[in-house]
Amino acid sequence: MRIEDHPILGKTERRERITLKVDGAAVPAFEGEAIAAALIASGRRVFRYTAKRREPRGVFCALGRCTDCMMIVNGQPNVRTCVTPARDGMVIQTQVGRRGGEATHDLETENS
Amino acid sequence: MKNDDLVICRCEEVTQADIKEVINQGVTTMNEVKRLTRAGMGLCQGKTCGRLVAGILSGETNQPLQELKPSTSRAPTRVLPLGTLSKTTQDDD
Repeated sequence: MRIEDHPILGKTERRERITLKVDGAAVPAFEGEAIAAALIASGRRVFRYTAKRREPRGVFCALGRCTDCMMIVNGQPNVRTCVTPARDGMVIQTQVGRRGGEATHDLETENS
Repeated sequence: MKNDDLVICRCEEVTQADIKEVINQGVTTMNEVKRLTRAGMGLCQGKTCGRLVAGILSGETNQPLQELKPSTSRAPTRVLPLGTLSKTTQDDD
């Protein structure tokens, strides 16, 4: 969901509709909104898995401090999606561990 | 006290039990807790857990919160790609 009419900030300005590629799937977004906003609106809650315990993490502080919402954006790991503007065609991947390069099959084995 | 498996430092995944353990070993400062547990040494640099760690240390060691010195902070205080730093150097040449 998105807040369309905020009690203090007013009505949300309609911006250009764009498409992000998130783990291979197309996710609609508005140009310039936070990547995290588009992901939450699409129903996603898990943005990455932690390095040690492989716990799921998503939006926590939502203002660029806590680093919980980091994902791999256009190949670059550790990008704070809550303060990074969405651009058309951005390729976004769930990050596993510190650099995101750790294999996801580890994740499946450890969780099972 | 309960909830010892609570994650205090979300970046380095350090629990309340981990922090209490080093305090029980005789640690009395924020810097010591940081260096022994890595709480506050992750991506967010203690922005999220700093106050929580201070609260635990204060409670466990009976030191007033306002007298605890914060752990040492050093630049960069947020995640930067190394390229940002090298680019600056090139511009200065």
